[in-house]
This record gives sequence, C-alpha cells and structure tokens, in this order.
Amino acid sequence: MKKSSSFNSAAFRFALLIAGLFAVGSIVLLTIVEHSLRAYAAEATAVGLRSETAILTEDWPDGGKQEVIDSIRRRQRSAFEQPFHFLLLDAGNKHLAGDLPLTAARKGWGQVTFVDDKPQPGESGDPETFQTLGTRLSDGSLLVVATDTFDVQRVRQRLVAFTIGSSIALTVLALIGGYFIGLMFLRRLDRVNGAVARIMSGDMAERLPAIGMSAEFDHLSTNLNAMLDRIAALMEGLQQVSTDVAHDLRTPLTRLQQRLEAMQGNNSEAAYEAGIAGALAQIDEIHVIFRALLRIGQIEGGERRDLAHIDLSELLGRISEAYQPVAEDAGKSLRASIDEGVAVLGDAELLAQLLTNLIDNALVHTPQGTNITIALHQEAACAVVTVADNGPGVPADQRGKILRRFYRLDQSRHTPGAGLGLALVASIAALHGAELMIEDNEPGLRVRLRFAAVA
Amino acid sequence: MKLLLLEDDDATRSHIEKALTAAGHVVDICLTGLDAVFLASSNEYSVIILDRMVPELDGLSALKQLRAQGVSTPAILLTGMDGIRDRVEGLEGGADDYLVKPFATTELVARVAALARRPPSVDAITMLRVGDLELDLLKRTVSRAGRRIELQAQEMKLLEYLLRHKGEVVTRTMMLENVWSFHFDPQTNLIESHMSRLRAKIDRGFGADLIHTVRGSGYRIEASPP
Repeated sequence: MKKSSSFNSAAFRFALLIAGLFAVGSIVLLTIVEHSLRAYAAEATAVGLRSETAILTEDWPDGGKQEVIDSIRRRQRSAFEQPFHFLLLDAGNKHLAGDLPLTAARKGWGQVTFVDDKPQPGESGDPETFQTLGTRLSDGSLLVVATDTFDVQRVRQRLVAFTIGSSIALTVLALIGGYFIGLMFLRRLDRVNGAVARIMSGDMAERLPAIGMSAEFDHLSTNLNAMLDRIAALMEGLQQVSTDVAHDLRTPLTRLQQRLEAMQGNNSEAAYEAGIAGALAQIDEIHVIFRALLRIGQIEGGERRDLAHIDLSELLGRISEAYQPVAEDAGKSLRASIDEGVAVLGDAELLAQLLTNLIDNALVHTPQGTNITIALHQEAACAVVTVADNGPGVPADQRGKILRRFYRLDQSRHTPGAGLGLALVASIAALHGAELMIEDNEPGLRVRLRFAAVA
Repeated sequence: MKLLLLEDDDATRSHIEKALTAAGHVVDICLTGLDAVFLASSNEYSVIILDRMVPELDGLSALKQLRAQGVSTPAILLTGMDGIRDRVEGLEGGADDYLVKPFATTELVARVAALARRPPSVDAITMLRVGDLELDLLKRTVSRAGRRIELQAQEMKLLEYLLRHKGEVVTRTMMLENVWSFHFDPQTNLIESHMSRLRAKIDRGFGADLIHTVRGSGYRIEASPP
C-alpha cells in the first residue's frame, strides 16, 4: 500500500483552503473597517473644528477682536493637552494670533502640512497633516482652526499592521494545524487500512477500528463493519449450504447406489425396468433437493429482484383452486376464505412458490380427514395469509426449528421431502419483509404470514 | 423435422442428439455460438436448441444476434442457471422456451415437438378437435360425440393446452408452466389429480380413451389409433 504524506492529505489541503479564505476575508474586512473609520474620523474632526470655531467666536462681535485673540493665546498657553492649532489674520492678512503657518490661511475646509513645534507625547518631529476650517469674521478677518489627522492615520496603520500580522500568524497556524491533523488522519486511516489488509488476506473475523475524530467517521466504520458482518453471514450461509448438500445428498445417493447394485446381475427384464424407474425417481429427488437449495441460496444471497404490486387475492385464489382436487384425492378438505383486492409488493413467482409450499406441507404432513383452511385478510394496513390445519401439529419446542434447512420432525420421516419446503418459505418471507409465525392451531399447525402494508 | 443443436459438452450433445434422432428429427450440430448464428441464419430449421453456456459467443447472445437479423425460428435455451432473472433474461432475449439442466431428455423432446410450427388449420382459432371431442374456444364449451360436457375453468384450460398440442407428449412441467404458471415442482401430485378428473369427464363412458399416459414423460391427447 502506498504511504501518503501529510502534505498530500485532505486535511492539509483543507487547512490551506481555509487559510486562503481567511486571508481574502481579512482583506475585505480591513477595507470595510478602514472605509468606515475614515468616514467616522472625518466626521469627528469636522465636528471638533466647528465647535471650537463656535466657542472662539462665541462673544463675537460684542467682545471685540481682542477677546478672540485672548482666547487663542489662553488656549496656547494652557497646560492641558491641546489638540487644536489656530491662526487669526485681520482683513489685511496681518498675523494677529495663532501658531499655524500662513499657508493655512484659507476660508472653508482645507489641509495644511507642517512640523508641529510642540509635539504631543509620543509624536515625532516629522511633518504632519492638519485638517483646517477657516471662518471669515464680519470685519473681514480670518479665523483658522486646525486639528491633526495623525491619530486617524495611526489607527489605520496599526489596523493594517495588525490584520496583516494576524493573517500571517493564522495562516501559519492553519498550515501547522493542517499538517498535524493530516498526520493524525493518516495514522488513523493507516489503522483502518491495516485492518482491511488483514481482512483481504483472509482474516474474516477482523473488523475495522473506530476512526475517531467525529461521529460521521465512526458511522462510516460502523457501516463498513455491518457490511462485513453481512458478507460473513452470507459466506457462512454458503458454507452451510455446501455442508448440507454434502450431508443430505448422501441419503438419496446411497439409495440410488443400492438400487443400481441390486440390478446388477439380475436377468429379469421386468426387474430391470422397475430398477431403472426407481433409480430415475431417486435422481428426481436429488434434483428437487438441488433446486430448492439453489433457490434458497439465491434468495438469501440477495439476488436483486424487482418487486411489483401483486394481487395476492387473485394469486391465492388461483392456487387454492388448483389444490382442490389434490386435497379431495388425499381425503382432506381445503377451504379458502379470501378477501378481495388484497395486494402486496412482491415477486409473483416466489410468492406462488411460498403459498404452494405451505399448502403442500399441510397436505403432506396430515392424516386423511384433515381440514385445511386458507385465509387472506387485510388487517389494518397489512395483508395476512393464514394456512392452518387440524392435524397433529408441531410440538411447541420444535416450532422454531422446522424453518431450518433439512429439519424434519420424527413423525414426518416417512413422508416424502427433504425438509426444505419451510426453509424456502422462510427465506421468501424474509425477502418480502414478511413476518412468518408458526403457531398452535389447537389442534394442528397454523402458519401465518404478515406482509407489510403496500404504500 | 430439421433441428439445430448448440451444445459444447460431448456427452450431453450425443445424448440429446440420439434422443432427437430417435424421435425422427434430423439434427445439425455446432459447438460455438458463432457457428450457431451462421447455421441458423443460412438454413431453415424447425427449432433451434441453444446451450446458454458455450465458448466464444454464448447461446443467449447468439440468439439475440439471430433475432436482430430477423431469424424467428422457435428457440429453446438450455441452461444450468435457474434464477428467475435468468429465465426472464432468456425469454426477453428471444427464447420461446427455457429448460433448466439437468432435465430428462423426454422433456426436451416433448418441448421441441410443442414448439415446432404447425401449418395453421382453418378452424384452429375457434374450434379445437380430437376424434369426436370438440372444444369451442369462443363459447368455452366442450362436447364429445355431440354430448355436452361441463368442465371447470381449470379443466378447460388444461384440455385446451392438451388439444393445442394434440398428438404430442405434454410433460407435467409443461402443464405446470403453461396452465398454472408454476415454475417449480409442487410436492403433491397436482397434475395427476387434475388429469384424473379431466379423464373421468371426457373419457369415461365413451369407449375409446383420448387421453393417454406416456410412461416416464407425461400425457398425450390423441384419437386412438384405428
């Protein structure tokens, strides 16, 4: 058997696929998050700038320009962390207050880049980009408020770095995990493959170990084991048949041999004729046994068969009619009580054989004067066939055994047959999923057969 | 009649050939399905007998080829396969009859005779006759020497089958298959019981018997030889 590598295993390929999907998913997520973050940051910045502008011009124009200048200076001197930068120019563009460069002097929204001379803790001395909002006051002077966009950019950068980092980490983890899971899979499957190899080399008692990992896999090995059980049962059946054949053909073959030996050296033509007729009859008996055995084997071996809707009423009616003269000649009565239109799903030929076997049985194993009744009734959704007699019946302890191949009651040893009729009935019933019941008819034997409802 | 026999087992073949020749037939022999196809398509046979399991081209495939070529000669398949499916396959493949090995040669001889085409007689469709016995297929009535005989439905079917093969041997299994559609042997003497009733009705009290027992084979309906 080829040894497979974990890198080729389904688990590893699956992990690769998951890692790839995760990477694509991360990029999409990152784009979306970044997009909304930017929108949120822009919104927050705008709100901040507007409210700061509103506070500065709160007293305008009553407090005069000096009030604004003072406010700006106060803010710049403040010890608190100050996120805003300012610029106040008069109508002649003369610098009145603020630390923004003159390039920021623009009405409305704008951006300016410069080096912050008093960077906040953690910030470098590099040039930064600021968002500006310029407002023209009523005397023509221009107030510009700016705030840095650095925080937003930083968050974005960190987010990207985090996402890329975690993607790489997760991919690596997925690959490592996939490798080990693959390895674990292969180990477990190797155990199963080992069991299969042992079975193939003839150890039919071997069964597959549970694969583990998850319920579905265990379900698989349970099913495979059930299949092996079935195969083993079939093989056992086959072996049983060969043993039975070997054992039970010996009797008729011995009788045949004796007949032929008796004919040897006998000069009478009549004796020859009788001997040949007897020998042929003996051979017929052997054929009957063979056919019955082969048929049981075929049925139990599960020869595929298309089951069809069978009008059981018509079939049983036809059979019981066919047997009327046979019963009369044997000095027995055969009465039938058959419901109309009862159908089952089945094989017409096998069902005919089943029913005739049951009736044959009732006729062969009972004394003269026996009453045999055949019935077919619809009970709930099930079709129930009953073949009953008031003959000697079967002792309770032997009722289960009479379905076995070649099983014969002591009292029926002198009647013809090989003990295969009911075995065939049982296997045909099983094929049809019908329940076969051997019961006491008080007195006599009652065989009931309950078919499943036809959908 | 001229027959074609496809059988690769020497012992079986010579045995069957002997029996068929003894029954007055001329038998052509072949050992492979290809030969059978060639012979059957280039000669006029009354019946062809094909063993199913022969080398090269098996009997059933040979028969299918023949049927595809439009050869409609009646055919019997001989086989060791006794599954229901096997028989259905054989009949669907164009076989007119199917005989499972091992079989008595008398069975084969009787079936060959039953299969061979007879020239259709004018009243064959509505009236079957043997001697002074008449079966009206339309009215479903039977009379002998002008006297009406009441038969049950099964007895009527049995008599009809015998009459359709009048003068030929009809075996027990042929009757079971064709009259009752039973493809197996009942343990009880079903055929004997029915035959004794039928005989009681159509032969008793009429002098000459029409139904004859053929020992070791079956029955034959025939006006007694003069």
